[in-house]
Amino acid sequence: MWLEILVCIKQVPHPDHFSEIRLDVGSGHIIREGIPAIINPLDRNALEEGLRVRERFSGRVTVISMGPPQAQKALEEALAMGADRGILLCDMAFAGADTLATANTLFYAIQKLGKFDLIYCGNETVDSGTAQVGPQLAELLDIPQVSGVQEVTFSDEKGLEVRRALEHGYMKVRLKLPALLCVTRDINRPRLPTVQSIMEVVQKKPIIWKAEDIGAPPESIGLKGSPTCAAGVYEHKAGRRREIMQGSTEEKVQRAVARLKELGAI
Amino acid sequence: MDLNLSREHEMLRDMVKEFADSELAPRALELDNKGEFFWEQVKRSGQLGLIGVINSKEYGGTAMGHLARMILIEEISRVYPPMGFFHQTGNLLMYAIETFGSDEQKKKYLPALCKGEKVSAFALTEATGGSDPANMQTEATLEGDDYVVNGRKSWITAVDPADVVGFVARTGDKFSAFIVEKGTPGFEVTRREETIGLRSLPVNEFALTNCRLPKENLIGEEGRGLVCALTTIATIGRTGAAGVALGIAHGCYEIALKFAKERVLYGKPIAVLQAIQFMLVDMNVEIEAAKWLCYSTAWQLDQGKTSRDLAVDIARCKLYAVDVANRCAYKALDIMGAYGLSPEYRVIGLLRDALELGVAAGSQEIMKITIGATITR
Repeated sequence: MWLEILVCIKQVPHPDHFSEIRLDVGSGHIIREGIPAIINPLDRNALEEGLRVRERFSGRVTVISMGPPQAQKALEEALAMGADRGILLCDMAFAGADTLATANTLFYAIQKLGKFDLIYCGNETVDSGTAQVGPQLAELLDIPQVSGVQEVTFSDEKGLEVRRALEHGYMKVRLKLPALLCVTRDINRPRLPTVQSIMEVVQKKPIIWKAEDIGAPPESIGLKGSPTCAAGVYEHKAGRRREIMQGSTEEKVQRAVARLKELGAI
Repeated sequence: MDLNLSREHEMLRDMVKEFADSELAPRALELDNKGEFFWEQVKRSGQLGLIGVINSKEYGGTAMGHLARMILIEEISRVYPPMGFFHQTGNLLMYAIETFGSDEQKKKYLPALCKGEKVSAFALTEATGGSDPANMQTEATLEGDDYVVNGRKSWITAVDPADVVGFVARTGDKFSAFIVEKGTPGFEVTRREETIGLRSLPVNEFALTNCRLPKENLIGEEGRGLVCALTTIATIGRTGAAGVALGIAHGCYEIALKFAKERVLYGKPIAVLQAIQFMLVDMNVEIEAAKWLCYSTAWQLDQGKTSRDLAVDIARCKLYAVDVANRCAYKALDIMGAYGLSPEYRVIGLLRDALELGVAAGSQEIMKITIGATITR
């Protein structure tokens, strides 16, 4: 069974450096300069799942990302992990995209690439955490989708049984291919590239496509295609309040309890 | 002049860093305490293509080169120096065979060694010391088609787990290099030394008693053994020790910096105190200097220069990086106070490992002699 597999990835700031990230309060944008970037951790789980499916059956794993030129590094890492080809959607016309414009951009690129049996996404990103792009893309493609995926079992050639995480339990979903799955970290442990695969990456550089290459209507991508509008951006500061209770131990305890009740803490 | 690492080297560093942090670090303390050889980690290192990084693809290596090896040893040693040092000693015989050995030897030994399915050791030092190899006593005499070897080698790393050992013996008035396999009659590991650092790697003495080795076990030509050994020790041993030192220095710095930012005294993290900052700055600057000394030398080896061309450069790397590792370990202890003495905080272990490096692959004084003799020529 030959499967065409697509994995959507995003380059994000390294979580170890989140404390160094600053917000531009005026524009509402994250200032990423100087922060090391990595493949979004759950997108690596998505890629690992795609690679395992290809190894179990046969097929081709294509990795796609929308981002600035430096996102090419994320695609190189994906190629080193074993992806067959990498596509970077890179154009100023894509800038400022919200989740819908991002899903639109991916949708038009997929129209150009052809049909896929399975599309894997990370359930959410560590930098924005909306968990919307995968489901939106599935809607645009008009294919079934499951989010919160912890485990995938192939029941037959074109059928899957998927275990989906819920807040207090799980749900099993049966669906037919083609399908889009948004995976969680429980699904697998992503592989490391090897020295051999790192050295082979030189021969398979990512393909870079601009807006005109995918024929995306300008009004559906980038800032123009983004209905989301940030009403305001502020840095959340968590401070500690201190109050000292006076009196005997018994009085102090009583006052502390009364104060906590007053604050609605107990 | 482009001083940027190539994309491949950057990706290698990221991969090894993740391997070290996620797979080596969680077990480093336990492995060090047990003092047991880490077969599982060696096999994993082989799967990732890290062991054969200087060997050619034809014989199972990845041929990424000396700079790649420096980077991987550094990253591994940052969290687990014995494993980094394995990449130093384990590569010695692999390099000697690849550079001086026969096609048959390369085919027979290198693929399994590159994969980490087998491990090797390399022996020059005897009880009389390693700095004066021309006075070695181990002797090989040709009898028919075999060499009969008698002698004893001391202070050799990882002979006990090794499947194959390279060594140098006197053949008449010259010296020759040989391969002996585990289980060969007359070859016996006779002692494990008590060592203070790098404890997962045994340091052994072994004896060769009327040990018969076929001529095919000669590495290169008869009489060229010292050239083989000294080239190997300079190219692989000294650069490898420098890489381990770099990793230890880096590890100490990271731990001390994190501690200084978190430890609160007088109502503030101690990192804001200039007395602490000055120590961190010394570490930071020295590590950066040592790193570029090591990287530039490894890069030159990749450009085709030999250990003879780079004798002084290699000696500088080993001398300086090892000194920096020791200084960084002591500074980290100063910053951390009593916490530094707790094995849980890892600095005391890194200091013990750094102390071992002083004598590895030629003492610090031998490095100074090499540099001194050249600059005053």
